[in-house]
Amino acid sequence: MGSAGRQRMSAISLQQDLLESAVTALPPDELSAVREAAVARFAVNGFPTTKHEDWKYTNLSAAAALSNAWLQDKPAQNEAQAVAIGTEIPEQIDAHWITIVNGIVDPDSLSTFASLTDNGITISRLAAGVAEGSIAVDDPMSAFNAALLQDGLQITVADDSALDKPVGLLIIDDGSVAVTQVRILIEVGENAQLRIVECPLSAGGDRQFANSVTQVVLADGARLDFVRLQQRQKKHWSVNRFSARLERESVLNYNNFDFGGELARNDIVADIVGTGASVNIHGLYLAAGQQHMDNHTRVDHRVGPAKSTEEYRGILNGRARCVFNGKAIVHAGADGTDASQSNHNLLLSDQAEIDTKPELEIYADDVKCSHGATVGQLDESALFYLRSRGLGKDEATQALTRAFASAILNKLAIEECHEYLVAALDRQLDALIDDA
Amino acid sequence: MNMLEIKNLKAGIGDTEILTGLSLSVKPGEVHAIMGPNGSGKSTLALVIAGHEDYEVYEGTVEFFGKNLLDLEPEERAREGIFLGFQYPVEIPGVNNAYLLKAAVNAKRKYEGLGEVDAFEFLKIARETMAMLDMDPSFLKRGVNEGFSGGEKKRNEILQMAVLKPRLAILDETDSGLDIDALKAVANGINALRHPERSMVLVTHYQRMLDYVEPDFVHVLSQGKIVRSGDKSLALQLEERGYEWVRQAASA
Repeated sequence: MGSAGRQRMSAISLQQDLLESAVTALPPDELSAVREAAVARFAVNGFPTTKHEDWKYTNLSAAAALSNAWLQDKPAQNEAQAVAIGTEIPEQIDAHWITIVNGIVDPDSLSTFASLTDNGITISRLAAGVAEGSIAVDDPMSAFNAALLQDGLQITVADDSALDKPVGLLIIDDGSVAVTQVRILIEVGENAQLRIVECPLSAGGDRQFANSVTQVVLADGARLDFVRLQQRQKKHWSVNRFSARLERESVLNYNNFDFGGELARNDIVADIVGTGASVNIHGLYLAAGQQHMDNHTRVDHRVGPAKSTEEYRGILNGRARCVFNGKAIVHAGADGTDASQSNHNLLLSDQAEIDTKPELEIYADDVKCSHGATVGQLDESALFYLRSRGLGKDEATQALTRAFASAILNKLAIEECHEYLVAALDRQLDALIDDA
Repeated sequence: MNMLEIKNLKAGIGDTEILTGLSLSVKPGEVHAIMGPNGSGKSTLALVIAGHEDYEVYEGTVEFFGKNLLDLEPEERAREGIFLGFQYPVEIPGVNNAYLLKAAVNAKRKYEGLGEVDAFEFLKIARETMAMLDMDPSFLKRGVNEGFSGGEKKRNEILQMAVLKPRLAILDETDSGLDIDALKAVANGINALRHPERSMVLVTHYQRMLDYVEPDFVHVLSQGKIVRSGDKSLALQLEERGYEWVRQAASA
C-alpha cells in the first residue's frame, strides 16, 4: 500500500452508522451535547473526497477506512496517560509545556498553570466544559473532530497581558489509539500577547490518523506568535486546521514546519475583520520517500487597510508528493489591502512532484497584491563552486538546501525555538538527502 | 617531478572539441601566465583541471604530482591542493562566507588526517587576510558573493585562496572587470602567496595584471593549444602586436 494520499482505491467514505453508534456508546460528559450536534453536522458532507477541488490531490480514503475499523471497535473513554514517548523538546525549548496524549490533556502538565493566572492567562481543559457554540463545526473535518471530542485546551489571555515564556504544546499520539482528535481554542484579549510552540509527535509502528483543529480569536491590538513543528513518524497521517479571526490592529505570525508523517494536510485560514491587522504565514515542508504534504491557506481580507504576507518553501526528494494552494481573497470594500504570497520548491529527485497554485481573488480597487511560485533543482554552478572548495557533494547539497530553507527559518516568530529548529532541520536534511 | 603535467589534452563539451592537444608542465614555485584571445580555450583549461562535469576529456592526461587528476571528483582535487579562482564567482545566498571558508579548510584537514581547525586561529587568519585585501570584515557574515561587486567577488576568491593555501592555484581572469585599486589589492594578495612550494597559473586576456604579478613563463593559447611559450617579454610583445600575430604564427 502506498501513501494515503496517492492511493487509487475507489473512494471510501466514513460510515455514518459506525460514527453514530460509537458516539452513542461514549459515556456522557460535559462534551456530550457538542458531540451529538457534530454527528448530525458531519452527516451532511462526510469526509471530503478528491472530487472536491480543495482535496483534489489528497485522498482521505485510507484515513476513512482506518477510522471505520477503529469506530467498529467502539472507542472507550480516553484516559490521560503518562507520556510513553521520550522527547528532549521540553528541555531544549524554554517554554511552559503542556502535554496532550491521544487528544487528552495530561492534568499534571496543566497544574503548573494555576500559578500563571496572575499573569492574565487562563488555561483549562475542554473536558471541563465549554460555552455553547464555541466549538466550530463549519467544515467536514472540524465536524468529525467535534463528533469524537473528549478533551482539548482553551487558552485565554486577558486584555493587556503577556506571559514571560511561550506556551509549549506537546501533542503526542503514542500509538495506543488509532484515531485522535485535538481541539485547541485560543483567545487573546485587547493588546495582549501570546506565543505558542506546538510540537506534534507520534510513536508506535501502526498507522494512525490525527485530526486537529485550532481556533483563534485575536482582539484589537492582540498578537499571537505560533510555531508548529511537526515531526511525526512515517506511518502517521494527519489533517490539521488552524483558523484565526483578526480584529483591528491585531497581528498573527504563524510558522509551520512539516518534517514528519506520511500524510500531512494543513488548512490555515485567516479572517481579517479589523483594519490595520497583519497576517504573516511562513511554512517549510521537507518531504522524501513516499511522504505526501498538502498546504492549503486562505486569507480573507474583509476590510482594509490590512496586510498579509505568506511564503511557503518545500524541499522534496524520493517520490514525495506535495501540494500548495494559497488563496488571498480581497473582498469588496477592502481598500488598502496589501497581500503577497509565494511558494518556492526545490526538487532533488525527478520522481518527486509538486502541485502549486497561488491564487488571488480581488473585488476591491485600491489594493497591492502579488503572488508567485517556482519549482527548481539545485543550482549546479553553486554545487560545483562549493565542491571546488573541497566540500563533498552531500555536504554541498546540504549547505544549498539549508540556504534555501533559511529564508523561512529567518522568519521564525519565536526565538526560543531557533536553536532546536536549526538542529532539527539539519538532521532532517541529512536524512532527506540520503533518500535518493 | 613536475607538479602539474598536462599531455596532449583534448577536451570539450559534447561533440565540440575546445582543447585540441594541449601540453603544459608546471614545477613547484613557478608562476605561469596563459594568454589568448576569447574562445581560445583558456577557461576550459581551468575548468577541466578543476573537474567541471560539463566538460568531457577525449584524449590526453592530466597529472598532479604523478596522480591522475581526471579520476578525481572536484572536491578531491581541491583537497589535493588545487584551487580554481573563478572568472565568474557564483553567488550563493544563505550560505555565508565564514561557513564556506571553514567547511573548506576542515574538508582539506580531514583529508589530510588532521582535526578541525581552531576557531580562533581560523578567524585570525581570515581577518588578517581580509585586511591585506582591503576587505570589510563584515563580508564574513554575508552570503557567499551575495550582492558583491565585481571587485569584491575577485577579492573574495583571493581570500579563499589565502585561507586554503593551495599547492596549485589556477586564477581564471581574476583581473577582469577590476579597477586599478582592486587590481592592486588582488595582485598584492597573489604576490603574498608566492612560495617555492606553491605554483600559480594565471589565465588572462590582458597583460596588465602581469605588471603587478610577474610570471616566470608566458604561454599563448590559440584554438585549443599552446602555440608559443616564452618569458614575460612575450606578454609585452603580445600587447604590442595583438593576438592576430600569434594566430598567423600558429597557422603558418
